[in-house]
Order: sequence, then structure tokens, then C-alpha cells
Amino acid sequence: MWYHKPAINEELLQSLPNLKVVASSGVGIDHLDLKLLSSYGVKVANTPFVVSIDTADMGMALLLASSRRLVEGHEMAVSPETEYFPADWLGVEVSGATLGIVGMGVIGYKVAERAKAFEMKILYHNRNQRKKEEESAVGAVYCKKIDYLLQQSDFVLLAVNLTPQTHKLIGKRELELMKPTATLINISRGLVVDQDALVEALQNKVIKAAALDVTYPEPLPRDHPLLKMKNVIITPHIGSATKKTRWVMMEEMVESIQAGLAGLPVPREVL
Amino acid sequence: MFRSKALSLLKLIPLMSGQSNLAYKFIHPVIACHGHRCHRSVIYKQWYRTRPHSAGRRTISAGTKVMAQGELPGVLILDIGGTHGVLEDLAALLKKHFHLITMKEFLGNKEEMSKKIQSVFVFECRPTIDRELLESLPNLKVIGNSGVGVDHLDLKMISSFGVKVTNTPNAVADPTADIGMALMLASARRLVEGCQIAVSPDTKYFAVDWLGVEVSRATLGIIGMGSIGYKVAQRARAFNMRILYHNRNRRRKEEEEAVGAHYCAKMEDLLQQSDFVMLVVNLTPETHKLIGRKELGLMKPTATLINISRGAVIDQDALVEALRNKVIRAAALDVTYPEPLPRDHPLLNLNNVIITPHIGTATVQAIHMMAEEAIANILAVLNDQPIPSEVFPK
Repeated sequence: MWYHKPAINEELLQSLPNLKVVASSGVGIDHLDLKLLSSYGVKVANTPFVVSIDTADMGMALLLASSRRLVEGHEMAVSPETEYFPADWLGVEVSGATLGIVGMGVIGYKVAERAKAFEMKILYHNRNQRKKEEESAVGAVYCKKIDYLLQQSDFVLLAVNLTPQTHKLIGKRELELMKPTATLINISRGLVVDQDALVEALQNKVIKAAALDVTYPEPLPRDHPLLKMKNVIITPHIGSATKKTRWVMMEEMVESIQAGLAGLPVPREVL
Repeated sequence: MFRSKALSLLKLIPLMSGQSNLAYKFIHPVIACHGHRCHRSVIYKQWYRTRPHSAGRRTISAGTKVMAQGELPGVLILDIGGTHGVLEDLAALLKKHFHLITMKEFLGNKEEMSKKIQSVFVFECRPTIDRELLESLPNLKVIGNSGVGVDHLDLKMISSFGVKVTNTPNAVADPTADIGMALMLASARRLVEGCQIAVSPDTKYFAVDWLGVEVSRATLGIIGMGSIGYKVAQRARAFNMRILYHNRNRRRKEEEEAVGAHYCAKMEDLLQQSDFVMLVVNLTPETHKLIGRKELGLMKPTATLINISRGAVIDQDALVEALRNKVIRAAALDVTYPEPLPRDHPLLNLNNVIITPHIGTATVQAIHMMAEEAIANILAVLNDQPIPSEVFPK
């Protein structure tokens, strides 16, 4: 299964009596009905760790691009109308700013490792607190309540998986808790954010900007307000889109399928 | 280095009078101080201190309180606001320490104004410092440049008038290193192209075979390992990049080990091995067209060239050719020659090129820090104190 296709539904499962394994590319499995698949005795495998590094890199790419207004700047630099570069055209500093990571799993932690080198102050919110050594290695401070993280951060980065608990995790209330100078970065799933609330928050300058590798749906309808906002960067879900990583993902999926067909324990099985 | 922690507090005791008879002693905690009272009614209390900046970094600032009536030293600027003028809040900062004179005011009343101008605050390379201007400013002592590059200033000529030149190396380092990283990541992951696809009215779906290249664990070759280059290395290390560097001089072993950087005495070796080549040199006759056809030919066909130094460090025509013929994969440039490029320049239309409008220090915080650093430098010259960052002609 590549990019969530083909869609797995009851009809398909009924028509494939010998189906043993579904190997899904990437780490997210929110597009799969695990209970349904299990009821047909089909094993599911994903590719969790291989995507982590590239996705963390993408998170940093979006953070830097948004803070320094890179896309806007490029458009100005190449626009046929540009006659000079104005002196009062400014972005905001990343070095020394505060980054709040919501979801400190493998990906979130790798973002923290990178952000530390920019001398960023790192706050994180997670279901569970990380071990002390892990926290000190990146200088991350645990926020048991997401509110505190939202209030203190200059950049809020979402790196959770999509579950019923994280659905619309960031809504009107959370956006209003954020600083008016803050930027929201999403490298998790579009549905983690209440998109309508986000549009409103951006329009009313409740927050300063957003950078989204994921939306709901993908792509967004062509008349969606997010597409026209100057302070929004959207990328087409390319968190793991590099040659090397995609190759390794394929290798891992093939390995999982082969194990499943041979009746052996399936590597990276999702239970 | 001015930013060293040893100089955590510099105090100056007031001694001064008027414009031309400044005698300050600066007091270091371990040095005994003495001062002498001046006879004039003008007393300045000045101090230099490093203080934690809002972004967590130390900065140098100068504070002045005019305790009695008197004249502040004159500083010439191009203009306040407008397309190329000094930003309004920077002008306000300058006014605390100087009598601000715009070019218009100066030209409108040359006789009177010319004597008052002891310094020039050069912001975004303006005003232009030429022989004519220098000849008309008899009391000019210092040109304080906002920014670290001084390739737009004729240092020899300025020096021949007995005028000093200062720049702002501390304020620019972090934001410029950040922009280098931003460009490298954006180019590798095709961020600008991706954004255009994501918002284009014609997009119906996201193609699955649309790929970029990795940054983490790739090889970064840094050409020019000064303050900015070193900060780039510190950042790149966190991405587990393999770091090569080429510099006039080799860095100390501890410095290399701290960022895992390998020295390449020959630039060719660096070019051949790097996935990303980042230019962080200053522009001098030696670095002019440092990267030309030969150098581009030595780079990997999968490599990306990133320029955060000066446009003229690259042979731009050779770059266009190399990009068109896929000699290298892509380029990301914060600087070009000229800026902006002519609107029909081929670089503007290549989809594997990202260009940003020279925004290496274009952050709210950096602009202020540069002004503060320039002010501190100017005041040091006018007050006969050690100058934090003077630039000398070769």
C-alpha cells in the first residue's frame, strides 16, 4: 500500500480469500481499519523508523522557511515586478527562540536534536515524560499541560500520530493560547488541527503564521482559504519524500510481506 | 573577541566634554580606574555592557545619558524610512547617541552640517562613500557599517582620509547561519516547488514519484570557516551531516572536533566529495569568482550550491550553464550580482534555483543588534577607546 492506496474496505477483503499481509508505506496507519483487518486474519505492517529522520528534517525546513519568509522572499526575488529589495522586509529569528514540540516520539525527539543546535529553548508535551537523560541531551523541558507549552512557544510543532485522542487536538482554544507572534508547524496529520479554526486564527492574526506538510484532505480543494494566505506555507505531504528513504521503505515493506507469506513473525507488524 | 565572557562588564566614567576632546578611560573590574573632571557643563555618562538579548544571546550596547545640555556627535545617514532609508526605530536608537543628519539635510546646508558630521552610519550599503563625500566632511572620524561585509567600501581610499571603518560581525552570525541552513533544507526538499504545487489552481492530486534529496547524513562542504561558517557547521552537525571545510587557515583541533569537521587543504577535494557546497567567505579580490566553470565541473551532478556570501564569489554565467546542463543538481542563493538581478536573467526562471532577496540578517532582532553594534563601534572611535570591530585595508 503506497500513499494509502488501494483503499482497504470490507468488499476488497471479502474478495481476496488468500490475503495474508498488508504492508503500508510510512508510519501512519490512521487510514487503516485495524479491527476489520484483524477480523479477516490479515497482518498489517508499516515502516515506522525509516521515515523519522527525513520527517524531522522537513519539520526544521518548514520552521526555518516560515520564520524567514523564504517562499515569499523567493517570489519577490524572481517576480517580474520587482525593482528593488525593500529595507523594511523582515522575518523573525530562529536561533534562541522557543520551540514547543507536541508529541515527543521518535520524530519529535529528532526535531529536538536539530533545534538544539540552533540554541532554541525546547518545551515538549507528550503522553508520557521522557527519561531524564533523554531530556537533558536536548535540553527539553516537559510540559504536563499543553497549555503552558502553547503560551510560551514561538514555534509550535505537531509530531503526534492521528488517533481519536489527537483528532482536532489544536482547535480554537489552543490557537488562542498561542502567542500572536507564534507559528504553527504541522508534520503529523491534517486532522490533528481544526482547519476551520486555523483559518479563522490566521485571518484574525491570533497567530502569526502556519507551515503545513499535511492537510485534510490532500490536496485541499482549490478554493480553500489556506491556499491564498501569504503567511501560510503548504507542502504536498513530502515528509519522507527522498530517494534513499523511499527505497528503504520499499525494502522494508517487501521484507514484511515475505515474512508474512512464509508464516514467520512479521517485522514492523502493527498490532 | 569582544563577546568573550571575560569582558562581562565594561564601565566608563564620565570625563568628557564637547566633541573633540574626549578622554574616556574604560574600566574593567580588575583595573583601577581614574578619571578627571571636565570643566565644561557637559557631562556624559557612558557605559558599555553585555546584556542577555531577548533571543538569549549576548549583545553589546552603549547607553548614553546626557546630563546637561550639549551637542551630540553628528552621524550622517541616507534617509529615514522610504525605500532605502534607515528603519524608523533604528533612527530612534541612533538619536539617543547622535545628532542625526540625513543626506538631504546635509546637502541642503553643507557649510554648517559638514563640520558636525563625525560619523556615517552605512545601512544596506547606503549612503555611497566616495571621494567627493569624504572631501566634504572634514571632521569625519569613522564609518560605522551595519553588517559584516565591507566589499562596497573602498577601504584604502577611506583610510587615506584618516577615517576608520567598523563592521558588525557579532550580530550577523546566527541569522546568516540560519538562512544558510534554511536554503539548504528548502533546496534539498524542493520546498518552494512543493509549495507552488500545493497551492496551484491546476493541482488535482499529489504525485507519488515526486522526490527530493536527504540532508541528514549527507556531506556538507563549507567554503569559508569564519564565525558564520562555524555556526553553520554547529547546526549541520545536529543533522548528522559529514562536514568538510576549506579555509585560508586550518582551525584548531578542538574546534574541528567540536563540530566533526574535516579540513580540506585543497578546495577541489571538498568540491568532489560534497552533496551540498556552502559559500561563507567574504568578498575580496582573492574570492572573486572563486566558483567558476572548473569548480562547478568538479562538483557531483547530484550536488547543490548554496551561497550566503556575496554574488560575485560565483561566476554567474558559469552557474547558469552548469544548472542548465545538469552539471550540478540545484542552487540556492541569498546573494546575487547585482541585487536584484535584471528581470530577464536566466537564473530567475530555472525551477531548480531558489533565490532569496539578501535576507541573511533580515530579522527584527538582527537589525537591531546590528545597529547597536555599529553604534558601539562608532562611539568607541569617537571616545578614543578600543574599537570592537575595526576593519583595515589589506
